[in-house]
Amino acid sequence: MPGPAMQVKAVSAAPRTAAGVKQVPEVTKLIDVSVCIGCKACEVACQEWNDLPVDKIRSGALGTYQTLPDLEYNFWQLIKFNEVERDGRLLWTLTKYQCMHCKDPGCLRACPAPGAIVQYANGIVDFVQENCIGCQFCVTGCPFDVPRVSPTTGKVYKCTLCSDRVSAGLEPACVKACPTNAISFGTRQKMLAQAERRAQQLRADGYATAAVYNPPGVGGTNVIYVLPYGDSPEIYGLPRNPRVTFVNLWKGPLKWLGNTVLFGGILGAVLHYFRFGPHEVNGKGRPEDRGTAQ
Amino acid sequence: MEERREDLVLRYTMAERVVHWVVALTFLYLLLTGLALFWPPFFWLAGLFGGGPVIRVWHPIVGVVFIVALVVMFVMWARDMRFEPEDRTWLQHVREYATGATHAVPESGRFNAGQKLLFYLQFVAGILLLLSGVVLWFPLAFGRGLREASYIVHDLAAIAGMGALIVHIYMGVFVIKGSWEAMTRGSVSRRWAEVHHGRWYRALRGASSGPREWEPLRTPEGMGQG
Repeated sequence: MPGPAMQVKAVSAAPRTAAGVKQVPEVTKLIDVSVCIGCKACEVACQEWNDLPVDKIRSGALGTYQTLPDLEYNFWQLIKFNEVERDGRLLWTLTKYQCMHCKDPGCLRACPAPGAIVQYANGIVDFVQENCIGCQFCVTGCPFDVPRVSPTTGKVYKCTLCSDRVSAGLEPACVKACPTNAISFGTRQKMLAQAERRAQQLRADGYATAAVYNPPGVGGTNVIYVLPYGDSPEIYGLPRNPRVTFVNLWKGPLKWLGNTVLFGGILGAVLHYFRFGPHEVNGKGRPEDRGTAQ
Repeated sequence: MEERREDLVLRYTMAERVVHWVVALTFLYLLLTGLALFWPPFFWLAGLFGGGPVIRVWHPIVGVVFIVALVVMFVMWARDMRFEPEDRTWLQHVREYATGATHAVPESGRFNAGQKLLFYLQFVAGILLLLSGVVLWFPLAFGRGLREASYIVHDLAAIAGMGALIVHIYMGVFVIKGSWEAMTRGSVSRRWAEVHHGRWYRALRGASSGPREWEPLRTPEGMGQG
């Protein structure tokens, strides 16, 4: 156990709050979209640090610089290159995309396997493959569409926010590799303040809608963005208002309906038996006698 | 109660019993493994069937077997399960039926209205479980909205099926004595047939005028008495 920052504070399929977790500052990664140049050094650093074999690049069909069409089980972060029209002009957005390390993670709440998804005291959400059963409930539980299943192991993988590096006091590999300081890493408080300052600066520079992307529908995220066009996160490939409504429905009313039917049904059957008992057909009586409960 | 052979009539053929038990056992497996995934306090059920990764692989495959058997069962019993005017009367007396005052309940055909409702409920639930289950099986092949809706549909259909199953097992195993034998050995006593499915029994008796009176007309060719 490398220290209090990596103590587990929430576990999938288990009571939500672990006892005895020390209060440590949460860590946050800040991505300033306005200074990203799309060099993909972060992608390479991620592949290299995490020992992920570099897949064959398959961007040709898309006609973009994007390395792959989407995230994959062995490709945990991807610069999305989007071409959109905005105010009658072509806008080319470059958005680093990876796990958002939600404060209230939909993946963790949807996961049925005890201990397969954990949240550390410092806010990092990590998958524990030994406990993963491959059901992929997290794939739907994640409103950002991040987890990916490996066809060979049947387990699900995603960005770890380099929890191994962070636990040793280092910054994530992508942060270290970024040549333009588009990616920053530090305590959540510091990063939020830095992001807000940068958004303010952008607004002063004429990006009237520049904003920080830290969606409240998932309790905020420990990966936040500064978006020059903050009023339309969709153009960066980010959901406007990510929510996990179906998990709430499932873990709330449906759970109670299921329990009521199961335990109520069994209890009802037992009580009915006590009160009315079985219906036996004895002897060879005449049809007029039929149906007398014994 | 020992019955003489001539007192017995065939209630379910060998084929009907096999299909019923394929549906029953696969559904039970699906229910128990599904509960393990539905609610963490039931995750221990996964251990009974080989652990989480194993049930993740087998739950959908067994589900396909369940659906195939369910469809066969539907076709097999569709005729006997058609609603008749008498079923309406039966349902009006369902309270008496449930409280043992069965003298007030009108006679049933081969299946009573309760059995018919259960049959259709399980069939509809099964189809919904299939449709939503395919989405959960291959989540990345479907859009987000459809996937999220499928969880809700899968859960609701499973809960409905579970409720129906509890009633069915309770009735078949504990309340209606003789049902278990009907669905395992295949036969019931004449008296049982007369009491529980009077119209069916009379039709049977009216139709079987051969010398071996215990052998009902409904026995299909090649099927034994069980």
